[in-house]
Amino acid sequence: MSDPGATDDLGADLGADVGADTLGADPRTPAPTTPSHTARPSVHEGVPAEAGHRLAELEDRPGHKGMFTSDLSVNEFLLVKEVGFHPLGFVMGSSIYHLGIQTRRWSQSQELSKLTEAMYDARQLAMDRMDAEATELGADGVVGVRLDVNYYEWGSDTAEFIALGTAVKAEDGRSYRNKQGKPFTSDLSGQDFWVLMQTGHVPLGLVMGTCVYHIAHRGLGQTLRAAGRNVELPNFTQALYEARELAMTRMQDEANELEASGIVGVRLEEKSHMWGDHTIEFLSLGTAVAKVKSDHTIPPPRTIISLDG
Amino acid sequence: MSLEPGGTFDERPRWPTGPPMGPATDTTPTGGLPTGQDGGLPEAAGRRLSGGAWSSGLSVNDFAACLELGMEPVGLVQGYTVMQWSWHFAGAASTMGGYGGGWWRTGSRGQYVEEWRCPHGFVGAEHRVFGVNYEQTWLEDSWATGWGSARDRMVEEAGALGAHGIIGVVDELRPLAGSSTVEFRVSGTAVVVPGAPRPDTPFTTYLAGQRLTKLLEAGFVPVSVAATMASVSMIGYCITAYQMAGTAAGNWSGGMSGGLGGVAPIAQVNRAHLAARHLARERVRRQLGTDLLHGVSLQQSEREIGEGDLTVECMLRGNRVRRFKDFEPLPEPTPVVRLG
Repeated sequence: MSDPGATDDLGADLGADVGADTLGADPRTPAPTTPSHTARPSVHEGVPAEAGHRLAELEDRPGHKGMFTSDLSVNEFLLVKEVGFHPLGFVMGSSIYHLGIQTRRWSQSQELSKLTEAMYDARQLAMDRMDAEATELGADGVVGVRLDVNYYEWGSDTAEFIALGTAVKAEDGRSYRNKQGKPFTSDLSGQDFWVLMQTGHVPLGLVMGTCVYHIAHRGLGQTLRAAGRNVELPNFTQALYEARELAMTRMQDEANELEASGIVGVRLEEKSHMWGDHTIEFLSLGTAVAKVKSDHTIPPPRTIISLDG
Repeated sequence: MSLEPGGTFDERPRWPTGPPMGPATDTTPTGGLPTGQDGGLPEAAGRRLSGGAWSSGLSVNDFAACLELGMEPVGLVQGYTVMQWSWHFAGAASTMGGYGGGWWRTGSRGQYVEEWRCPHGFVGAEHRVFGVNYEQTWLEDSWATGWGSARDRMVEEAGALGAHGIIGVVDELRPLAGSSTVEFRVSGTAVVVPGAPRPDTPFTTYLAGQRLTKLLEAGFVPVSVAATMASVSMIGYCITAYQMAGTAAGNWSGGMSGGLGGVAPIAQVNRAHLAARHLARERVRRQLGTDLLHGVSLQQSEREIGEGDLTVECMLRGNRVRRFKDFEPLPEPTPVVRLG
């Protein structure tokens, strides 16, 4: 986990841990006067104590019958069961991150590497904490992962990154953990998870790459020279192209680290967050998969007539 | 081909491995990548496409259907063009004020031009005595350049991956950081068909998943995506301007409208829409050769550029397809009640 304090030029050291410390404190005990890492008897760094309690409630142990929570729909639940997994519990991770300001040159297109790092680290922290909750439950994986970013009025340049999903465990006792010994994560729905398993692939992890890019403003001279004509602006094409390719390459590097054979359901999101429309974050996300069987068992297609509607 | 449940693997619809996949010849303008140091793909693209895990923009269902057809995804491919952009000739309507002098006749032969003349005689200096609908060939050409370059760059990435084709193509035109800049975006998933001969140019199609399966089942292979944009600018003459403002009545309407407040077609606007559709259709038809166009979508939009003046754009896209075998009737459908 990298140091979130290294994210901005302003020296504001409102790192990810601030949010976790504040939110994680047990309201029944007096809050520690200074933020301290030792104040959290948690399952994992950054995971609040309450989580440990909540997760313990979900587990089966002598004298206590566990139960599961999940945000799966009924159809998703049935399909996850059908493919041999049992939901263990709804897991989450959060990270409140101060996104600093990086100086940018008005007339130059460039990557803002500090913001790129911050956006990446913040999501990674949230995912790691979700992973830690899932590990605590003894899960093999997390399905239906959603990554959200929220902004609050009380914090300028501050964003909360949240990862949510349902931890699952294989019923046949086989381990589906990935090369890093962590539960796999995937943004696939229960339906997609079922279909993917039928094709002889298993998910390894939700992989992502990001690139925050500043797009140059065009000077008056440049605008006038091209006035009245629709022409390509090759420098802009090249800059945006590069930014997207960088985000996707970084995503692919993560998949390679997991020794994945491929990434399914890749999507490329573009957001300006709170930076104005000349600074854009390109975020590439997908589920890394590995091929485990060469044969696959998709039922042959049949023509059907639906009797509803 | 049998689609009965339990049919053997070979009886399912598969990508044809024989020779019918022709080269995807195309008549739209081409443009290479903007020149970097080496004039090729962006540096990051080169690294991304050089190996390791493949990526696919297909949904899991489409991914499964793609494997089922005997195709393997090899990478998400993309192409972009950023352009300085204007949807109409700056100042055309305001400076000409309807008193034109034939300045729009600058396009090629066969360009659509239609003129309207005021029936009222001299009324006043503000009166629009003259109206014209004309095809904005310069805009159509720049659209074709932008879209075509983005498409070619995507195909170039697929070529670098040794792909047979690109499925699930998505394209869009979005404004970019400021009003006078737009970006053409085209992306899709490059696939290889093990065992099939590689066409000179990878095929491209908007289809993926079950729709692509059905296309093959019906006996067609995709050749290329086809898209065109036609644009007609309308400078309204007096009657059109009154009708658009809702003030056409009595003598001013020249007997062409239904009178006060009535609902009546505005002839000049109608003609502009009709012309844009016709131009788009004819242009795509010229690209097709002996092939067919499947799954066409047509988007028509109107922009008001001043009082009484408009531009009309018609965007037509579809999949150019080629027959490779005769159609076989589908098996009897199975009725299904869904449980929600």
